[in-house]
Amino acid sequence: MKAKKERGGTPIRGLLPLVALLVIWELVGDPASPYFPPPSTWIDGIQPLIDADKLLPAIGQTSLTFVLGLAIATALGAIVGTLVGASRSVDRALSPSLEFLRALPAASLVPVAALVLGYTTQMKLVVVVLPATWPILLTCRTARRTLSPVLLDTPRTLGLSTWHRTTKILTPALTPAVLLGVRVAAPLALIITLLVEIVTRVNGLGAALGAAQAGFLSAQVYGLLTIAGILGFAVNWIVTRAETSVSRRMRGTV
Amino acid sequence: MTPTISCTDLEVTLPGASGAVNILAGVNLSVAKAEFVSILGTSGSGKTTLLRVLGGLLPATGGEVRCDGTPIQGPPDGVVTVFQDYAHSLLPWRTVRRNVALGIEARLGRAERDERVDEALTMVGLLERADEYPWRLSGGMQQRVQIARALATRPRVLLMDEPFGALDAMTKASLQDQLQQVQSLTETTIVFVTHDVEEAVYLSDRLVVLNGSPADIGLTLDIPLPRPRHQISTKERADYLELRHRVYEALGHTVGEPARG
Repeated sequence: MKAKKERGGTPIRGLLPLVALLVIWELVGDPASPYFPPPSTWIDGIQPLIDADKLLPAIGQTSLTFVLGLAIATALGAIVGTLVGASRSVDRALSPSLEFLRALPAASLVPVAALVLGYTTQMKLVVVVLPATWPILLTCRTARRTLSPVLLDTPRTLGLSTWHRTTKILTPALTPAVLLGVRVAAPLALIITLLVEIVTRVNGLGAALGAAQAGFLSAQVYGLLTIAGILGFAVNWIVTRAETSVSRRMRGTV
Repeated sequence: MTPTISCTDLEVTLPGASGAVNILAGVNLSVAKAEFVSILGTSGSGKTTLLRVLGGLLPATGGEVRCDGTPIQGPPDGVVTVFQDYAHSLLPWRTVRRNVALGIEARLGRAERDERVDEALTMVGLLERADEYPWRLSGGMQQRVQIARALATRPRVLLMDEPFGALDAMTKASLQDQLQQVQSLTETTIVFVTHDVEEAVYLSDRLVVLNGSPADIGLTLDIPLPRPRHQISTKERADYLELRHRVYEALGHTVGEPARG
């Protein structure tokens, strides 16, 4: 009961300082300010984008890159993480390379990816997938490594096929770890998506943000920033909720 | 008559921290149909290793393991292991009913599957808890779920690895009696690993003691106590006490001296 109340109450109450800040900004802000235009001007700022039918496609392109990138990263991280975690020798052979790739800053991939793939959505995807894969791969590797041997012997002694062992035992047992990784990877993937868009101006919300900044449309910049913020908040909320509820079910704790 | 499950000249070597360790050497054991055989030994004597080899979960390094005359590679059909660690063996995301169905759901139709699950849960007295999740049940009940899951597959051989080792004395006694009933009902062959001398004497038709390193079978003892056995009256019989005495001796205990090891 208490947990339910906390879960329902926190986002709303926790947002109060932000709302208060916006109200103060609105009251004392100068509508003509080139740096800090008050919130009421932000809607006017993004109005030209809505009129030109550019805002929704931009949100769509960003969301597509983000969702697709995260999905590929999840599949890749879960599969590679499981394989690496299952065998000590594979782990020892691959770990140094994995550690190096993990330490590679995501932004430094942009020039290489752009060089090879050009300014395209595929290029955006490649840059998003690589850094988003690590948290999922690493949590999955640890989870696979620490899986109880009894849990793996059980389907064998009951005569389950390899396919059923994977789908009925391994997948549900590792799902909480994968989702924990996704929970860490999701905000990261969104940040990288926007970053690539701002840097390369291919398409999406980030490209619009970059263009508005270059054109000194400060109200539009703040308006787009708000949309990006809401997007990030929504993503975080959905992923966290999904992770908590699925983990509870799979781990069997109330 | 061919034995249900047997091993000859079994040898098992496992990789250890400082090179290969020879766990079992020259183990000969053959278990007849519907027989209850216990494997006793001090901890680390290789009891579990022997059971894992019989269950096809671990390959033998040397010698031969046969089930109904056929050499085994991997877990044979109809030979099911029940693990001591019931908490990790049951799937927390499945209800009791679906846990029990795990071994048969891919092979049987819905109606037959439900019938077998109900039958197995009735045998262990847990039918009314079928729709709960295992983590809501006590340790003893969870172990009964694991036994029911094995029974649902209608096994020829049940291999039990210290199944009651983690349970309190009273739960243990009631599960021992339930296991006796189940065996007399289903005529399943049971190989039972334990470190509890009383438990081994009370339940078995025959018991073997593993000792040495690498271990082999040091003592084989027939237990001709009449069945059904009873927790109080059987354990008061002179022949029960005599058998118990011999097993303790085989494990290295001597009258009048404190226990070693």
